[in-house]
Amino acid sequence: MENILTDIIFLPLLIAVILGTIRASLPLLRVGAIFSSLGTLALTLLLTYDFNPQEGMQFLVNATWIKNAGMTYNLGVDYLSLIILLLITTIMPLLYLYMLKERRKGYWYNMMLLQTGVTGAVLSLDLILFYLFWETMLLPIFIMIGKYGSGMKQYNSMKIVLMTILGSMSMLFSILYIGYIYFETTGVWSFALNDLSTLIFEAKTSIWLTAGFLLAFAIKIPLVGFHTWMAPAYGSAPTPAVVIMSAIMAKLGVYGIWRFGFTLFGSTLHFYEPIIIVLALIGLIYYAIVAITETNLRRMFAYSSGSHLSLIALGIFLSNIYAWGGSLYFIATHAIASAGMFMVIGLTYHRFQTININELGGIASKMPIFTFFFAFFALSIAGLPGTGGFVGELLIIIGAFKASFWVGVFTATTMLSAMVYIFWMLQRTLFGSSNNEVIAKDLSIKEILMLAPLVILLLLTGIIPSLFIPMFEPGLLGALK
Amino acid sequence: MINELFFAIPMISVLLGALTLMLLSHKKNISLKNFNYIAIFFLLISFVSEYLILGHNTQDYLFASIFQHTFILDDFATIFDLMFTLGAILTLLVNNDYFKSRTYFSGEYFSLILFSVFGMMLLSHAHELLTVFIALEIASLSIYTLVGFHKNKKVSSEAMMKYMVLGSMTGAFFMLGTALIYGAVGSTTLENISLYVNATPLEDMTLLVVGGSFLMITIMFKIGAVPFHSWIIDVYHGAPYPITMFMASTFKIAIFAIALRLYIVNFAQINHFWTEMLQAITILTLLGGSWLAISQTLVKRMLAGSSIVHSGYLLIGISSIGLGSEVAAPAIMFYLIAYFLSAVGSFGILSFIASQSKKQMSYEDFKGFANRRPYMALMMSIFMLSLAGFPSTIGFLGKFYIFTSAIESGQLILAGLGIMTAFISVYYYFKLIAMMYFYPTDHEQKKLPIDISTIIIAMMALIVIWGGIGTSLIPFIPGADSFIETAKTAINSLK
Repeated sequence: MENILTDIIFLPLLIAVILGTIRASLPLLRVGAIFSSLGTLALTLLLTYDFNPQEGMQFLVNATWIKNAGMTYNLGVDYLSLIILLLITTIMPLLYLYMLKERRKGYWYNMMLLQTGVTGAVLSLDLILFYLFWETMLLPIFIMIGKYGSGMKQYNSMKIVLMTILGSMSMLFSILYIGYIYFETTGVWSFALNDLSTLIFEAKTSIWLTAGFLLAFAIKIPLVGFHTWMAPAYGSAPTPAVVIMSAIMAKLGVYGIWRFGFTLFGSTLHFYEPIIIVLALIGLIYYAIVAITETNLRRMFAYSSGSHLSLIALGIFLSNIYAWGGSLYFIATHAIASAGMFMVIGLTYHRFQTININELGGIASKMPIFTFFFAFFALSIAGLPGTGGFVGELLIIIGAFKASFWVGVFTATTMLSAMVYIFWMLQRTLFGSSNNEVIAKDLSIKEILMLAPLVILLLLTGIIPSLFIPMFEPGLLGALK
Repeated sequence: MINELFFAIPMISVLLGALTLMLLSHKKNISLKNFNYIAIFFLLISFVSEYLILGHNTQDYLFASIFQHTFILDDFATIFDLMFTLGAILTLLVNNDYFKSRTYFSGEYFSLILFSVFGMMLLSHAHELLTVFIALEIASLSIYTLVGFHKNKKVSSEAMMKYMVLGSMTGAFFMLGTALIYGAVGSTTLENISLYVNATPLEDMTLLVVGGSFLMITIMFKIGAVPFHSWIIDVYHGAPYPITMFMASTFKIAIFAIALRLYIVNFAQINHFWTEMLQAITILTLLGGSWLAISQTLVKRMLAGSSIVHSGYLLIGISSIGLGSEVAAPAIMFYLIAYFLSAVGSFGILSFIASQSKKQMSYEDFKGFANRRPYMALMMSIFMLSLAGFPSTIGFLGKFYIFTSAIESGQLILAGLGIMTAFISVYYYFKLIAMMYFYPTDHEQKKLPIDISTIIIAMMALIVIWGGIGTSLIPFIPGADSFIETAKTAINSLK
């Protein structure tokens, strides 16, 4: 049990390295990848079973990594990282099921590397370690978009890499400076979050340092103004990569603000509060409007994802229990819903060779089961009551009204505008007359198996939130004090 | 005396090897391969004896009864020697196939490589300015000849002329600087210079300071700092691949051996005098190098341009020393090791590919490389990531130490600029990765030949990764910590 976090992080990487060294054949590679995802899922479930919601950080690992530089190998899990960890480990096996027929070996290796990257970023409690994983998870995305993507893939993958690294570099500068301040006050180097959280910064320095971190996270989320990579990257990326980007990586931006922003510069973040709230409000309305005008399904849901992530970021910066609880809840449910949605869009492409709304239509009469899943995920993204998304959005909106009337009003428009583009999209894609000649088969058993767990999770979170909220409520209340 | 001979073995063995090869080189019945092995044999003797000497120095000076204090013995010099010999060994081993693929190589080539290694070793041990000059010229003259070794190729000859004319001119600056310093101090040994510097106030040292600045110009020229960089791209381009590899990885480091010694020890009292000048040069080097690297279409020229940027990072470290940073000196050593490993690897792969084709190797030629040689492409990516300073490679730790030293000495702007150019470098390094992975290839996937070059390159790739993430948690296998320990030992042994 002591090394369970290490195992969860490195199991996929280890399997990938072993398979790569022995030049594994495709079937073996497939089995290995699926085994790694199921193994991490089992380990995570074990971890969840032992997790005590009443306590803060648990399963701590404290080890020196590179002693001379003060880098430590510190891991730990609390309610927030546990939620994201559960999301990763649930989505990964489903993705492998989705790409089961994939014949290109590099695809599988990249997915395993990607899992190690995102898991490590969620669990690490040392700034340099976090930075390492934060950058590492970019590499597989870079390769997957550029090699296996579509459209202007080379250009778009270079764009996402350069923009994200610009953010990480500014974060690196802040990290180094914080490390130096710690060295100056104590005489030893350390980048462990525990040590650094004791620091008190000068107001002016603190503002610059926070800006370095916020830039990295704002690009990852992306907040409006830092979003130019988003639609092209989502449009070009292959489905598994899009799912990870929208369901996990975008959430890591919010996670970063929560974990590192609040721990290191709690009070300075208040300085940025109005700016972020305004950006988030503009974002959630702007993205929604762009989503209405998009005809490419992937790009539409890219903007929709941006809109909802702005909502989550907004919730994080409205420091009250409703908004925070809602944000956390929405992180999980939006991840599940968008994972499902992007997978369904991938299936649409397999069947019709297009994801342009104008070339679809009339699917409902031909493929009833497909229509159900498609509509279900779309509606749960829109926040249909009875799905998990509704609970999250509602809590954030309540929190927004608590903070200020006008913020509340603007926040509430997300739900409305989401309804507009979702329903209009559904009407044009699923109903009406068909705009193509393709005769498509309905979902196979495998595909149903792949999507059903997500549907069940969304329904569970939507109908009985009381099952999940106690998991993180004590932690949240503690954090608010 | 016999005792001291042991400490001289590294240099003697290389010199003997060079002479032996020179004498043998007119024989037509010895194949290039055997010449190569002879050269490696002598270098290996040198390498092993250096390894044995490391940490066991009992003598302060080499043959003090004959040379007085001309040659110093310390771990700093030995660690540099280790890098020189290792660099030469790797160059020779990796290029085993390259020699066969070109007709213009002959026995003298190996002799010249050994001579230049001998020059570099003299340089790291030199403790007297005239000896420094002689050592520098031994190394440089060998390299000039090596650059123009392909004498029927115009680019090569042009590169040699350019390098030789400019290099000799800056050599003259070095002589002038030495003369001025001699005028001020009355001696050219570094020991007496130190005494003079420590005893005299800065205002009365105009002659020495001017002389020191002239020395600096030579050093800046040799490491390719802007505005003394105009030769670097053409020379790296014109030289045969093995020589480019040797220059970029080994010769560049040799210059830092003497630069660090002068700056940290002998001019320690007055080195803050040059800080502003260094900062200006650093800014120019970082920006100019990035500009040059971005605008290239040939991979070799891009790496040449980027090597200017790496000089810029090292200069950040040097100006940090002047401002009193404690971590700066080990940081430079560590960065040198990191750069050495990554440069040997990346240039090694280039020359390995070049040994199988006669192409110029632009970015375009790398299209689909990952399909043809998946493992080679993976290793090339690792070296590119390390040069770009991507975390989990040794290059990241190198940049980490350099930037922290800049922050520590209060040079926030330089640290920021360094991080900015590291960001720019992501573009031109990732472009190569993109070329290798993102395009399909027409060629069939060949079988993977395993030979000595590939094994060595693979080992370098592993060291680059392990040097970045290697932890002291695993016993007996030295990780990143031991690299930095080595760097610290080197700096602490300076006197």
